[in-house]
Amino acid sequence: MREMISMIVVLTVLTSVSGFLLSTVQSVTKEPIEIAILNIVQAPAIKEIFPEAENDPIAERFPIETENGPIKIFPAKLADGNTAIAFETKGKGGYGGDVGFMVGINLENDQIIATRVTTHSETPGFGARAKDDPEFVSQFAEKSMSDNLGLKSSGGSIDAMSGATVTSMAITLAVKEAQRLYKQLKPEILKQIK
Amino acid sequence: MAQSLAKEFTKGLWAEIPPFRLVLGLCPVLAVTTKVENGLGMGIATTFVLVFSNLLVSLLRNIIPSKVRIACYIVIIATFVTIVELGMQALVYPLFLKLGIFIPLIVVNCIVLGRAEAFASKNGPVLAVADGLGIGIGFTLSLAALAAVRELLGAGTITIWNGVTIFEMGVNFQPFAFMVQAPGAFVALGLMLAGMNLIGKK
Amino acid sequence: MNNNKLTVSHAPFWHDGDSLFQMNLNIIIAALPAIIFGILQFGAPALGVIALAVSSAMIWEIISNIIARQKQTIGDLDSALIGLLFGMMLPATSPWWMVIIGTLVAVVVGKMIFGGTGANPFNPALVGMAFLMLSWPVLFDFDAAYVSYDVNYTALAPLAALKSMGAESISGVFATGDLIMGKQLGAIGSTFGLGLILGGIYLILRGYVRWEIPVSFIAGIIICAWAFNLSDPTKYAGPMIHLFSGYTLLGAFFLAPENSSSPVNTIPMLLYGFFAAVMIILMRNIGLYSDGTVLGILLFNLANPLIDSIRPKALGKGVNHA
Repeated sequence: MREMISMIVVLTVLTSVSGFLLSTVQSVTKEPIEIAILNIVQAPAIKEIFPEAENDPIAERFPIETENGPIKIFPAKLADGNTAIAFETKGKGGYGGDVGFMVGINLENDQIIATRVTTHSETPGFGARAKDDPEFVSQFAEKSMSDNLGLKSSGGSIDAMSGATVTSMAITLAVKEAQRLYKQLKPEILKQIK
Repeated sequence: MAQSLAKEFTKGLWAEIPPFRLVLGLCPVLAVTTKVENGLGMGIATTFVLVFSNLLVSLLRNIIPSKVRIACYIVIIATFVTIVELGMQALVYPLFLKLGIFIPLIVVNCIVLGRAEAFASKNGPVLAVADGLGIGIGFTLSLAALAAVRELLGAGTITIWNGVTIFEMGVNFQPFAFMVQAPGAFVALGLMLAGMNLIGKK
Repeated sequence: MNNNKLTVSHAPFWHDGDSLFQMNLNIIIAALPAIIFGILQFGAPALGVIALAVSSAMIWEIISNIIARQKQTIGDLDSALIGLLFGMMLPATSPWWMVIIGTLVAVVVGKMIFGGTGANPFNPALVGMAFLMLSWPVLFDFDAAYVSYDVNYTALAPLAALKSMGAESISGVFATGDLIMGKQLGAIGSTFGLGLILGGIYLILRGYVRWEIPVSFIAGIIICAWAFNLSDPTKYAGPMIHLFSGYTLLGAFFLAPENSSSPVNTIPMLLYGFFAAVMIILMRNIGLYSDGTVLGILLFNLANPLIDSIRPKALGKGVNHA
């Protein structure tokens, strides 16, 4: 009986101390983590997509609700006076997990301005080229959001990276998800921007 | 005391160096050693967890009832792993992106639990910390060594920290990409084990 | 009374004069028609690749025997054969360093580490190939490799064309007769189907290759490809293009029946050949690679100890009414 009580007491105390410690750490690190994600992952991609934006898309970001939780929309004023937005989607089924993909879209003509890979864990020298070498993702530029942006082998218009079909496939899935979200969210986005 | 302290510390560096001599903790060894920076980051994270869990287990070794000791160890280890994970996200987010799922998996890394059970629960806190530090540094060094071999052959570079490349092969170098893929990890580990046995053979 | 039982007479036995050297020499002779054709087709670079592959394979064996302090076994021609088969699977334009690394992996990792001749669980030449295909897939793009060659037939590697363009658009481009006579782009030793078949028949007649593996292998290719073709002829090509292109025939007669990595009993041999071939067609039709021969055979090398445990009962065992 004594042993039983000591077991219960020790485990209870240990887990509650651990729980308290973790909640403290979590509340302390919450803000730095959000800033880190924004600065390290999303901001460089935004800067590459809108190199000549006349406003600061990162500062003017706003969230929009979707069925899978909120996503951040980055609005940008282009040099020709048009407005564009960028947001990030996940492509399922990359070689090393999901591939994060930032898509910049011109709101006037529904054309893709540029795209960038944000997060990935693909094989260096193969799938990782999608981020390091912009040749593959540049294929998406100036395509319309209503085009079939699948790989050529599945009837679309995108050439897969040689040796990295799986990564290419994941990225086209991310673009398709972006197309779906864009169609669904465009009215809402326009309302928020005006 | 000082002598045994030094002994417990140095054994982790060669005589019981974890992945090569103990052949423990192979999951992160195989998975994250595609780049030296990943290997170093993983090794440092594991060392941190190892030192603190060893310290706590050793301090609490007379309080923890033996019947629930594994559960207690896991709670302690998991707490430190979560702290490492959150701290890493806040401070070195790029590294966290690369190590991703393998950080939470330190909880079930056999080295950490193995040292808690085999060493810390039977020795005083000072020795336990020395042991944790020694094994942790040995683990870090072997991860870095394996990663250096794989990265050099497989990608032609050696990247030590956050994109800082200290060595790069010439432009004509055709990377042996097999080495940075999963099967290459097994082959490289096996060849390095063979090499260590060849050196250690009397 | 069953008279078919195997009876072995008492010693002394008479050695029939056969040896590893003889066997490997015969396999090399059988491979020569396809190689000579490949050299005529792709010119001096092909000869260079083959010569480099054979010589570097033999040198690696000497070096690893010296490091491991073992007796030199180079005279049995096993490494020469590995190098030769390995070279046959390369495009003629392979750079020298790729050939040398490939034979290093094939001989040292594929064979010597496991204990040398006869102890390898995988076909060493295929181990080397798998390493190279995973590392430098670009160099195995036969279309790009032979871009400077001027040929008087369709200058496309059939399987790569099948993968990228689909079966419908290439139907009629590759005549079966042309494929058999080597009028296709491919590796040095894999294009000349007729030569490979003749070599294979020679080996079967001489008894160095049992007929079960090549026959079941070819049957597997034909049946599986035909089934795919029936289900959707626009998407999946017919059996003939699968049989006479890529490494298929090389695999059937030279790679799959490799001694120490293939089964020894009749039923396992039939299963091994058949399912390795099915695997190859699955990889070609559904998988990522345009030719799955290397990985398909390696996979069934792995299954070999398991399927080879299907064996006849030993005499005197399991007999209840003796």
